[in-house]
Amino acid sequence: MTVIPPSIASRRAVVAFAAACVILAILPPVVELSAYAHNLMTLGFLMVAGALAWNWMGGFVGQISFGHAAMFGLGGFVAGRLMLGLHLPAPVCWLGGAIVAGIFALGAHPMLRLRGPYFSIATIGAGEASRLVFTYWERFTGGASGLSLPLDRDLKYQLYWWALAFAALVAAGSVVIRRSSLGLKLLAIKADADAAADVGISATFYQDLIFALSGAVVGLSGGLYASYVSYIEPSDMFGFDRSISFVLMAVIGGIGTSLGPVLGAAVFVLVRTYLVASYPDLYLGIYGVLLIFIILFEPRGLTGVLQRVLRRIRPASGAAPP
Amino acid sequence: MTRLSTRGLTKRFGGLCALDGVELDLDEREILGVIGPNGAGKTTLFSLIAGSIRPTSGDIFLDGERVTGLPAHRRVGAGIVRTHQIVRLFGNLTVLENVVVAAMHARGGATGSARDRAAEVLAFVGLTGRDGHYPGTLTLAGRKRLELARALATGPRVVLLDEVVAGVNPAEALAFAALIRRIRDERGISVILTEHVMPAVMSLSDRVIVLDRGKLIALGTPREVAANPRVITAYLGTAAEEAAP
Repeated sequence: MTVIPPSIASRRAVVAFAAACVILAILPPVVELSAYAHNLMTLGFLMVAGALAWNWMGGFVGQISFGHAAMFGLGGFVAGRLMLGLHLPAPVCWLGGAIVAGIFALGAHPMLRLRGPYFSIATIGAGEASRLVFTYWERFTGGASGLSLPLDRDLKYQLYWWALAFAALVAAGSVVIRRSSLGLKLLAIKADADAAADVGISATFYQDLIFALSGAVVGLSGGLYASYVSYIEPSDMFGFDRSISFVLMAVIGGIGTSLGPVLGAAVFVLVRTYLVASYPDLYLGIYGVLLIFIILFEPRGLTGVLQRVLRRIRPASGAAPP
Repeated sequence: MTRLSTRGLTKRFGGLCALDGVELDLDEREILGVIGPNGAGKTTLFSLIAGSIRPTSGDIFLDGERVTGLPAHRRVGAGIVRTHQIVRLFGNLTVLENVVVAAMHARGGATGSARDRAAEVLAFVGLTGRDGHYPGTLTLAGRKRLELARALATGPRVVLLDEVVAGVNPAEALAFAALIRRIRDERGISVILTEHVMPAVMSLSDRVIVLDRGKLIALGTPREVAANPRVITAYLGTAAEEAAP
């Protein structure tokens, strides 16, 4: 059940959220973050935004996509091409990438007639197909050798705040969607698309809308990522493990909630960095095992664990209906 | 005045003709019962009128306007809404949210917020004080009331009730019958219902149509239909058929 516990839904949560954003925003000058921490956090914010946007489709509508890397990659490469070819200001390039990624996501329309595992399998195919197409489309992506973007140290430093603001906006958007009439319709579609049609909700329209929005936001995070790493190549940007990472972050944190993907992305980025450094060959396997354990023992992920802990600490607040 | 009519409504599933040239007229403020043996095409008729499936041929008119081509979600906007034989609720939404989400798409002219309209409809079907509960915690009768409330919240002109009394106890069945009459009398909605429980259909319906193997074989008041020899044959078979090897 997608019950947001009162502790998260309440006004106190808004205050906590704003406070967290402010603290994160003043962190780099105050404590002089190391380059390593700066790097980790910037990438973390981008992953938070991506995981939240993935969750609009996977968590709210209940359509699990294993192909979101296509939009991430496209957003990155379009932004990169705009920078290299037209020398537009970076934010304009990012936005351009997001728009193209959103339109590209609309191409999923025929697949959205499928539901559940059938849809997921189709997205694997579509994601891999786009990876191959963009790898061989050398004039656009530079092929296997990728694209080098202009290195801008100031921008790279500032991207910390761009990424933070972006993640905060997407998180706020996530809560607004979930608590609005749109969110209610999405949950109805998730529960039973045919019954939703019986009360006048077009599952087709809302799935298209959310997939496009989700794709645009993931594309935007791809664009910011491209600027940040300043070197992008198709096998990384469009890679299957990138698609999987969106799924993992949402599932680890708690699918269908707004807090879940934030927690999930934070944990994912930290653990991934450690695992890639220590066990480069095993890290995807370890995530697979982790995923199985989460689905078996706590399908609501870290959010579920957190709710249990909160309920134990303050039994009264947990029992109140939302 | 005629509210809903079908002309030559036919649906084939491959070689099987589930519905064959059915013509019916539903009046304003009328309760029309649809009966027939299993496999007669009752649910197919419902799905066609609600727009869940498309007819092979034939047309459906609502207040004289052709709605045959409209998909299910647009038909709700036109004023046709259905409930299901096996209740289909949104299990991840609360009782109130289930109705609110339907009220959001209420037809034009509806006043007040979706939440107010949902509360009104919930009170109408006798499901108050359960707003924050989840449908899974309701009894079968409660879930059926909720599905009915959800249908009414869309502001329909025609409600299709598929086996709404089936599976509930006799006392609740009586309450449902009273509720269905109130839908007609207080809200001015036309009702088409199918039912296996014969006394319920016969006492509720203004008129009854009988389907057998996809064909409309009888139409009339409950009394007329019950006395119709073709209907008796359809339900009980003939002596010759029974004796056949």
